[in-house]
Amino acid sequence: MSRTHVNCTVNGDEVDFLASDDTSLLDALRDELGLTSVKEGCGTGDCGACSITVDGKLNCSCLMFAPEAEGTSIGTVEGLANGDQLHPLQTTFLEGAALQCGICTPGVLVAAKVLLDENPSPTETEIRYALAGNLCRCTGYDKIIHAVQEAAVTINAGASK
Amino acid sequence: MATVHLQADHARHTNGERELEVGGATVGAVIDELDARFPGLGVFLSDGASVAIDGELQPRGTTYAPVGPEAVLHFLIPITGG
Amino acid sequence: MTAVENPPKKYKYVGTRPVRHDGLEKVTGKARFAADLSLTGQLRGVMVRSPHAHARIKSIDTSAAEAMPGVKSVTTGADFPDIDPAAPIYDESINVIARDEVLYHGHVVAAVAATTLSEARAAAAAVKVEYDVLEPILTIEGALADGATISNKSTRTLFLGQDDETNLASVAPFGRGDVEAGFADADVIVERFFTTKAVHQGYIEPHACVVDVGQDGKASIWASSQGHFAVRSKTADILGWGTDKIKVTPAEIGGGFGGKTTIYLEPIAVKLSQKASRPVKMVMTREEVLRATGPAPAAEIAIKVGAKNDGELTTIQSTMKYSNGSAKGYAAMLGAMSTASYRFPNLDINTMGTVDNTSKSAAYRAPSAPQAAFAVESCIDEIAKTLGMDPIEIRLQNAVVEGDITAMGAPHPKIGFIETMQAIKDSEHYNSPVPEGAGRGFGTGFWFNIGEQSSATVNLNEDGTATVITGSPDIGGSRASMALMAAETLGLDPMRITPIIADTESVGFTDITEGSRATFATGMAVTNACLELIDQMKQRAAMMRGVEADQVEWVDGAAIVDGQDPLTIAEITGQAKQTGGPLTSTASLNAAGAGPSFAAHLADVAVDEETGVVTILRYTAAQDAGTAIHPSYVEGQMQGGSAQGIGWALNEEYIYSDDGVMENASFLDYRMPVASDLPMLETIIVEVPNPSHPYGVRGVGETGIVPPINTLANAIHSATGVRMTDLPMSPPNILKAITLQKASNEQK
Repeated sequence: MSRTHVNCTVNGDEVDFLASDDTSLLDALRDELGLTSVKEGCGTGDCGACSITVDGKLNCSCLMFAPEAEGTSIGTVEGLANGDQLHPLQTTFLEGAALQCGICTPGVLVAAKVLLDENPSPTETEIRYALAGNLCRCTGYDKIIHAVQEAAVTINAGASK
Repeated sequence: MATVHLQADHARHTNGERELEVGGATVGAVIDELDARFPGLGVFLSDGASVAIDGELQPRGTTYAPVGPEAVLHFLIPITGG
Repeated sequence: MTAVENPPKKYKYVGTRPVRHDGLEKVTGKARFAADLSLTGQLRGVMVRSPHAHARIKSIDTSAAEAMPGVKSVTTGADFPDIDPAAPIYDESINVIARDEVLYHGHVVAAVAATTLSEARAAAAAVKVEYDVLEPILTIEGALADGATISNKSTRTLFLGQDDETNLASVAPFGRGDVEAGFADADVIVERFFTTKAVHQGYIEPHACVVDVGQDGKASIWASSQGHFAVRSKTADILGWGTDKIKVTPAEIGGGFGGKTTIYLEPIAVKLSQKASRPVKMVMTREEVLRATGPAPAAEIAIKVGAKNDGELTTIQSTMKYSNGSAKGYAAMLGAMSTASYRFPNLDINTMGTVDNTSKSAAYRAPSAPQAAFAVESCIDEIAKTLGMDPIEIRLQNAVVEGDITAMGAPHPKIGFIETMQAIKDSEHYNSPVPEGAGRGFGTGFWFNIGEQSSATVNLNEDGTATVITGSPDIGGSRASMALMAAETLGLDPMRITPIIADTESVGFTDITEGSRATFATGMAVTNACLELIDQMKQRAAMMRGVEADQVEWVDGAAIVDGQDPLTIAEITGQAKQTGGPLTSTASLNAAGAGPSFAAHLADVAVDEETGVVTILRYTAAQDAGTAIHPSYVEGQMQGGSAQGIGWALNEEYIYSDDGVMENASFLDYRMPVASDLPMLETIIVEVPNPSHPYGVRGVGETGIVPPINTLANAIHSATGVRMTDLPMSPPNILKAITLQKASNEQK
């Protein structure tokens, strides 16, 4: 089967890869680019474990075909830290024990970052609805919500300096 | 002789008797004697049960645990988990 | 927050909340789960699954599949040895791949390995299987009906010692006292019939493995599992291989909850890899996970409870029927455990386990307890309300304490049921008014917990840091707890300790992480290894100071000899070569003394009587952890169990067609709680230390899932006056019940 040559940016790096037209972006990111942080939990866009940003917008990579990534800018959790500085969300998740098995964590972090970029001071309800597309079976979401709230405080304190 | 308590289900093999006096210096010996008295019961006690000696639940499968002369044994359904 | 019986804070490290050692890799995406691993030249394996819930296999023709592009190996049940039906591995071996009979929709009949996933899928579709379709049994009632089709011809009734084919896998009665007299004497009697549906553990990571069988016939397996030694032994038993021919490395595991204590993929992947002489990777799709793995059993529970006017619960009689799915299990017998919270002098519990043509049930966090507790705790709630008693008061009055005899016959060890309920009674939630229009419910649950076998090795490095090596896959943060217990024992900062989980060749045998046993039993092994290391270090210190070993004391992580400067661990390890060699210790055990963990939950709910939607306004969970080694992860277990119980209570269920096909096999239709469904889950850790563990640990992983169903049922009753007896308590079901109630009220 012939494969399409796809050019895009991932976490700020220009990359290219080959993918058949029926390969999902999820599989291409994992198998062609080695970005295994993007997980398949369901393959039908219901669990959010495959969440990425595409040109800044939250998307389920399992619902996109790989060639659709052409010319776009993709973000995954591998691009969240800034060199040796973890993103405040990563720090608050660690300190707040907001993960147990960790399989949903990359997708949750991507979704939470999109939320805080758009809404720097979300209410608890706004956080819950923003993360409603990310299934977590281990934590009951409680510590995740707290960690997002804490990260918002940290980010806003930093931003106001 | 140790006093052995069987669960109602094991009693199927013992004509309904649930409390028995059994000799044997270890759990394994007690099971062997019960199996000799009630053929077929042994495998359910060694494979399919946990045992408490004087109220203390034993590690599962330890047939060498010593049984004192006045000990009280309970054979219980195997507790697992998830 | 802690409650009554809180021991004074006497630990330096145990009870603190350090960042877990494996946390960084999980928030940066570097953690490797089984599906993230790949080997050079690997093939992708795909299962061929039965389209029928019950059928005899007449023939399997793999020739077309074998000829397709990229296909390197194919396997069917014929490649697997026959196993004696009396052998413990028998049911799992049949479940992994069918032989002459398929037992549920999705049962594996063959598998294909090819160079790409799409080639493998195309080839799997080309495998031709001829079936003689048989009538499927799909319900408990159907299984027990006179003249019912036999759903699995290998089933014999456990303990009956007879040889007839049957759908009744187990019958186990438990009894004491005189229930007839008890009921004759009772002032209040409640009699109800409860039903629950099959539900899935819902781990977000589908089963996955990568296997490489070399030309020497040795298999290396990387697996997502709760127990890699069990993967080794089950694979060995199913294939008839020696244990030395199989090495299993645990990948990070993305949730298990009991559903990954059995085996599905590895024996097949090994066979495909062996036949192709290439590595094989197999990853289940979500649909496969839902159709063909575990669920927790559906149950039907008839129950009658009698009490006196003063609140004494005197008599309980129940027939508990559980479906095991396609093969026998212990489900029903374990259900009887839920009567062990109260003294009930007169008790008659009959448990029956059935077999049918739905997928083989697997463990799910406190297996069988949530269903039984739904029945028992709902009846107690009704009795309390009838007598005008506070729901906590009636339970405090009847609660078991150390020495009380359980339905299973043995006495309870030291337990904290009363303390845990008292913690809710003292809580801010309980002492705040019920919101306008809402209903408040209280419920409880527990799990006995298990011990079993664990091994641990502790190595001291030249600079005084330590490595703690265990064989317990970390499904909830146990790595951090191992480091904390080692830290406390040695007197060494936990951040200078590296806890790892080693493969089957690098650490001693360790049983599955299940039954809430890791922190308890593996923690014991870790502690014992550390204690032995301290003895070694005292000897080295004695040598370094020129005294006898018995003149050395170990205090706060250092060796003290009278009148001399203390020797720190680093100073001792720095001289290890000079004093005799490396400092390392291994301990192993078959642990006894696992302490039961009781929980009490409180919920405020609002029920929309026009839509049937239940909104949880406030939720508090109290649970006895014995000693909380890492409180954040104890809270995490309580919250996770609560969320799963809430999902089970309010929405989750397997929906089957008449042909036995699951109709809601996706996360869209098998609806688990999302963040917007739940409120904050408040937690109260109660600590009634377990005297059998060096740090007083009680396993906490499972108990949390037991109270939510009954707590919510009781809250819904308080809010609406409707007693729900069938799960799930989903909007259409609540609406139906409210409508029926209104209609019957109008008739009065």
